[in-house]
Amino acid sequence: MGAAMRFNAMHFMPYVHLPENHKEYKSTWVSFPNKFFDADKGHDLYNRYLQELVLADKLGFDAIVVNEHHNTVYSMMATPNLIAAALVPQTKNARICVWGTPPNFMLPNRLAEEYAILDVMSKGRLEIAFPLGTGMEYWSNAGNPATAREKFKESLKIILQAWKEDGPTTHYGQFYTYRFLNPWPRPYQRPHPPCYIVGTGSPETIEIAAELGFGYASVFVTQQRAYELNENLRQRASTYGHTLRPDQLPLLTFIYVAETNEQAEREYIVHLQRFFEDYARTSPQFLAPPGYLSVEQLKMRAAMADKMHGGFDFDAISKSFFISVGSPDKVANQIGEWSVKMKTTHINNVMHVADMPHWKTVKNLTLFAEEVIPRLRSRQAPSYRMAAE
Amino acid sequence: MAKFERETYNINGVKTVVHTAGHGEPLVFFHGGGTVDGFDFAEPWTSKFRVIAPYHPGFGESGDDPTLANMHDYVMHYLELFDVLKLDRFNLVGLSMGGELAARFASEHGHRIKKLVLIGPSGIIDPQHPMVDLMAVPGDQVLGFLVSNMDVLLKRLPENPGLDFMGDRYREATTFARIYWEHPGDPKFMRYLHRIKVPTMIVWGDEDKLIPVEHTETWKKFIPNAEIKIYKGAGHLVHLEKPEAVEAMGNFLS
Repeated sequence: MGAAMRFNAMHFMPYVHLPENHKEYKSTWVSFPNKFFDADKGHDLYNRYLQELVLADKLGFDAIVVNEHHNTVYSMMATPNLIAAALVPQTKNARICVWGTPPNFMLPNRLAEEYAILDVMSKGRLEIAFPLGTGMEYWSNAGNPATAREKFKESLKIILQAWKEDGPTTHYGQFYTYRFLNPWPRPYQRPHPPCYIVGTGSPETIEIAAELGFGYASVFVTQQRAYELNENLRQRASTYGHTLRPDQLPLLTFIYVAETNEQAEREYIVHLQRFFEDYARTSPQFLAPPGYLSVEQLKMRAAMADKMHGGFDFDAISKSFFISVGSPDKVANQIGEWSVKMKTTHINNVMHVADMPHWKTVKNLTLFAEEVIPRLRSRQAPSYRMAAE
Repeated sequence: MAKFERETYNINGVKTVVHTAGHGEPLVFFHGGGTVDGFDFAEPWTSKFRVIAPYHPGFGESGDDPTLANMHDYVMHYLELFDVLKLDRFNLVGLSMGGELAARFASEHGHRIKKLVLIGPSGIIDPQHPMVDLMAVPGDQVLGFLVSNMDVLLKRLPENPGLDFMGDRYREATTFARIYWEHPGDPKFMRYLHRIKVPTMIVWGDEDKLIPVEHTETWKKFIPNAEIKIYKGAGHLVHLEKPEAVEAMGNFLS
């Protein structure tokens, strides 16, 4: 079966005005002093970033993607549903992806309600990803990392029950009691908007996605690991009787398109470097609060971190992750190859990083929409054997 | 001095490892929120007591209790272990988190305790002298809060702590978080301390950087007859830094 390819534009909405002395801080997350936030500059950035996502809709991106982080310059979207609500009336066609709010930091009925509101307001354009939340979020929010996975599962159960079953229903669990689970409104899409789990591929989270038949959006994993993760999820999902479609495995890419490969690298690499070194800078303590990972995962990740020590190396990092920087031909070819290898039709493109200025973002979005997407769409639609075939 | 022997029990599904040495009246020792300090400090007691040092579920050589949620779960665990060990009445010594546990056990089951010793126990909420929230301290800075004399601790640590050592510490931090992450202090804990009527000794280092020595004042309020021993120049792990403290505890219990 062939399937149309789908292209998202994702934005982190970072706060870009880092103080001169920011390198003195080991982490730009969790404990990075919020006195460095200037509301006037923040106001300008929100307006600018919203414009960029609205532009993505106008240019024909299939979806725009927002997500949630706390206490950090990395993202100004502490509550992405507010951002999505601002985008709904300003956009026409693009699906609105909130990928997403960690259910552990919100009452499940309220999250079910907020997503339903967005879905009804947008007449069924909402898509949702449920993250456990990074380790950093557990330092910034109230919630025990040692019981995070149990609570996550219970929250998902409540949210899905709220959407799928006619209310009122009840829920008596370890973390929550609902005597009248009966949220208004209900989602526009029945029984509920498309759902994904988003994460870095810990086996525990994969299993949740497999059991529920959800898609899985892997983030910040290497190409090899993303491949293994997708294969593993397909296999695990099949044991629960689910067959994953190619569009349920979005591929996270970092993209910059310019006239030539050289010009693209000249315009982009400095921002990508700042993204990794400054905006994603955090500490081992914040990455792994106690109980957030299994001991096995902690040891595996610590061993991996040891290997990855050393300065920013664009060549190495772009070979390791899905990072495509270059002319429309180069970017289209790379994405085409990756989609075949990863057996996905769903490309989730980060189109802005770090302190990339507005003009580069507009250029990147425009060239991708007008030069890259048509190149990929004109190809023979890739064909995938489904796991069940 | 007797060497510790290792015994393994299945307590309500949780593998529980107990180190035992010596002969005489039973003396149970509850370790603190980590296990790198070991049990060897207790060897002087073994000439007079049968020292019984269990690893709490989720620590050291014991298995995990996936349902562990609060300190009272440990009280229940130990009631079951002591039944299995046929320990009816015994001396109880607790260090730090183990001190909080020992005090809680004594406030609930005082008739089982002959004498009680608390070494730098946690549990007191004193806004004027707050204890350090160890969970907010980066891993590489934790040791600095534990002792005044780093040498006593360093000789107990591996020279090149590898991934396994790191994993063991992470596991113990996870257990600690199950109990303390949401409530670093249990507001109900102090409410029942007045029920402790057994002879009690409270031991502290005056340079304790983790739990301020001023907490002895609050303990005195709840347990007026408690004997307070403060050792100059010692930090939180006073039992490692001051052998004379270990001796004094042994004498008190005799």
